[in-house]
Amino acid sequence: MPDHAQILPGTLDLLILKAASLGPLHGYGILLRIGQISGQALLIEQGALYPALFRLVRQGLLKASWGTSENNRRAKFYELTSAGRNRLREEAEGWNRLVAAMASALGARPEEV
Amino acid sequence: MKLVASLRSFASAIWRRSRVEDEMDEELRAHIRDRTDDLERSGISRAEAVRRARIEFGGYQRYAEECREALGTHFLETVLQDARFGLRMLRKNPGFTALAVLTLALGIAASTSIFTFVKATLLEPLPVRAGSRLVVIWVSNLKAGWNRIGPTGQDYLDWREKQLKSFEDLFLFEHGTGTVTGQGEPEQVAGLRVTTNFGDFFGIKPALGRTFRLEEASARHNLIILSYQYWQRRFGSDPSVAGRGMTLNGEPYTIIGVLPSELSTLFPGDVVVSFDNDWLKRADSDLGVFGRLRPGVSLRQAAAEMGVVMRGMGLVRPNRKDFGAVLVPVESARVEYIRPALLVLLGAVGFVLLIACANVANLMMSRAIGRQREVAVRLALGAGRGRLLRQFLAESTLLALLGGCAGVLLALWSTRLLTWYVPSRIPVPNAADRVLLPTVHMDGIALAFALCISLLTGIAFGLAPAFQSLRSNVNESLKQRERGSLPGRGGRGSGAALVLVEGALAFVLVIGAALMLQSFSRLLASKPGFRTDHLLTVRIKLPDDAKDSKYRDPWQRAAAFQRFLSGVQAVPGVESAALAELVPLTQDDMDMGYFVVKEQPPLPTGEHLAADFRDISPGYFHTMGIPLIRGRAFTDHDNRDNPRVVLIDETLARHLFPNQDPIGKHVQIPDSLRPAREIVGVVGGVRDTGFDQQPRPTIYLPSLQSPDQTMSLVVRTASLPAAILPAIKNAIWSVDRDQPVFSVRSMDEIVWEITSAQRIAFLALDVFALLALVLAAVGIYGVTSCAVGQRTHEIGIRMALGARPRDVMRMIVGQGARMALLGVVIGLIGALGLTRLMSSLLYGVSATDPATFAAVTVLLVIVACLACYVPARRAMRVHPTVALRCE
Repeated sequence: MPDHAQILPGTLDLLILKAASLGPLHGYGILLRIGQISGQALLIEQGALYPALFRLVRQGLLKASWGTSENNRRAKFYELTSAGRNRLREEAEGWNRLVAAMASALGARPEEV
Repeated sequence: MKLVASLRSFASAIWRRSRVEDEMDEELRAHIRDRTDDLERSGISRAEAVRRARIEFGGYQRYAEECREALGTHFLETVLQDARFGLRMLRKNPGFTALAVLTLALGIAASTSIFTFVKATLLEPLPVRAGSRLVVIWVSNLKAGWNRIGPTGQDYLDWREKQLKSFEDLFLFEHGTGTVTGQGEPEQVAGLRVTTNFGDFFGIKPALGRTFRLEEASARHNLIILSYQYWQRRFGSDPSVAGRGMTLNGEPYTIIGVLPSELSTLFPGDVVVSFDNDWLKRADSDLGVFGRLRPGVSLRQAAAEMGVVMRGMGLVRPNRKDFGAVLVPVESARVEYIRPALLVLLGAVGFVLLIACANVANLMMSRAIGRQREVAVRLALGAGRGRLLRQFLAESTLLALLGGCAGVLLALWSTRLLTWYVPSRIPVPNAADRVLLPTVHMDGIALAFALCISLLTGIAFGLAPAFQSLRSNVNESLKQRERGSLPGRGGRGSGAALVLVEGALAFVLVIGAALMLQSFSRLLASKPGFRTDHLLTVRIKLPDDAKDSKYRDPWQRAAAFQRFLSGVQAVPGVESAALAELVPLTQDDMDMGYFVVKEQPPLPTGEHLAADFRDISPGYFHTMGIPLIRGRAFTDHDNRDNPRVVLIDETLARHLFPNQDPIGKHVQIPDSLRPAREIVGVVGGVRDTGFDQQPRPTIYLPSLQSPDQTMSLVVRTASLPAAILPAIKNAIWSVDRDQPVFSVRSMDEIVWEITSAQRIAFLALDVFALLALVLAAVGIYGVTSCAVGQRTHEIGIRMALGARPRDVMRMIVGQGARMALLGVVIGLIGALGLTRLMSSLLYGVSATDPATFAAVTVLLVIVACLACYVPARRAMRVHPTVALRCE
């Protein structure tokens, strides 16, 4: 994966929560939406998605239910729980603070120090 | 909460295991299928789309595994999987499995059965209240050589009067026998006469009725308590027995209760009767005193107080001058004799187990080396190291549990064997007493012990090879194997270390066994000073307690014994018979005393001559087979009407009259009005206190001049003693049909009892040592042949380059033998320290006997060389071309 950013550890969960917050999705759908909302910049090995999904379900942040997909196949849909919504907000704020801090740190010029 | 939740998830995980598994599979596959469809729509071929979708997904199994872990099904799932995998691996190598299980079974069986035995004898608490605070109190007189003798009733009363601060309570008892008549056949019963605090002292909850009341000591009430066994045997467990009467020694008694069954080990008798205060003052032989320490009082404090009390008593009572007290906890006094033997066995069995573990670790190790490539491939494919480690552990634990099961079965059998081999009665050292050993059987605790041992060994020998193969570098292992060259040095190194450890452990055990073997054969070969075969002993105590006893006068007693003797001598099959106050080797009692020699100048004050005094009838030396060295033996004329005479043994003769003729000299007992006694003969020395003791100076007195209340009949029989016993009893009862006889034992039985500790140690240690030697040899063989197998290629090169078979042989055997030798050296150092611990069991051989050490060293080196020789011969026959081609 030469010109794509590697995913940072811990950020996959955040991306999944974000993707699921936009409406119930099955696993492959979440992958596609992550690709879509990140402008295809973040690529992961696709299998890695599932352990993360299972973990989030177990933590009660996602809710899983079986349903029918757009092409009429049985699929498991993931949906954000209220706990998941709270977590997403907290994590997003944390992330934004980090990004702002990093940006200002990296944008610093010699005369500002 | 978290625990509950995870437990619930775990439980439902088990329940839904297969469903969850199926759904997960469905979900992952759906993903790949959707992706394939999308890729195909973008214009590439179906086959290419499938390929790309798979690549993009990544390692399917790896993520499935991670999902399982995330779901919480992981743990059980993997344990089951590991177990299944382990079983498969074990089934695939039946030879390996059988060898490992057998090795472990032997180790586990040995340790479980010895543990069972040790637990029953050493660790089981006494079945009484505050058993750990009970102590036996003996009195001693070190100047006279009395280490432990029973106190008298007067001692007991004096101690009570002093209100000892260390003890909550004191208890006195006497072993005795009696005759029960009135209901069917007369029966000899054994029992205890106890102080009336019996019930309270031991916290006895009677199975029926009650125990004695304190105030019942004020007068003679003739109350009797039955033991549980006697109640079952004689009264058929009749629940209405309390309050009934029975006749004991011709007197009416009232049954007041029945003892609980768990007391039967502590009180193996039939009945318990009580002392009254008058009797207590008179009681002076065969007595035992127990004290119950106050909580928090140490044995040392109690002993110090008793020391002070005994010194005070010595000032008031001349016959207690120079006496002290010896305190030993009841729990340890009971097993003093057998404890060293058991501890040595426990140590030995630990060694066997270690060797067994080392062997199985060895086997696992060589298999792990064989599986290095498999492990490398699995690591390369993304298997977690932790997971692989668990798999190795699962396999070895499975193996250990299999071994444990087989071991428990073996242990059940060997425990029974051990119970048969160990006598039920063992002597208490230096005291005229014996105790009953508890019955030994496997129970839950022993099984738990076996399980723990199995699991521990499983983990112990599973970890080493697991780390070994996981530590190796994946790339290296894969490449190495392809080149068919040597395995990592580490593998060979730890194999060698195991050989070393096994050599050392086996050496220590074999040394111990060799010492025991020598000691025991010397013990059996040592002559006790008389003939032990075809000798029956029967003890008779004349009842002089009853008011109308016909035996109040000592001379009547002497005459009565003479009548019994004549009766027995007339029995067909009796070669000869005699009377003796004490039977050698029985430790029934001690009778030691001071004396002076009339012809010699008096000793400085404070010094005494002391000897064992033995009253015997004419014919005793002939019956026992004790040689008369000079002078004459006693005859029927040495009675009350003729001059007093004695015989002395050669030990005393040598000691008192070096280069003199003792005959015609006189010995006299000090502070007595009795006349001096002329020495008329010298007889051979007898090892009276045990095979491993030297004969003690002894003075023999004719029983017709020195009557006793209790004597033993010693009977030399033509046939087996047991066959003639009924006739002997009848001969006694035809003289007096109410006369009890007891302690009926053949000398062979007595010898069996007093050599039991050495015999147990000897037999078990030798079995263990043999086991250790075989296991160690198998281990060394295994390591060497594994090494040879791996070095086939190298050996081929050497031979192609001109090495001769002889050189190859020398190399292989040399390397193995060097390791074993190093192990022997380490074992030698260990053995020098450890064999000292068993010196109390050794007789006639030093714990560091150089000849034994040398012989065992040679033996071990030979065994090690042989174990290397077999695989080395195989290596020697390797054909270079085959070896070079082989992979």
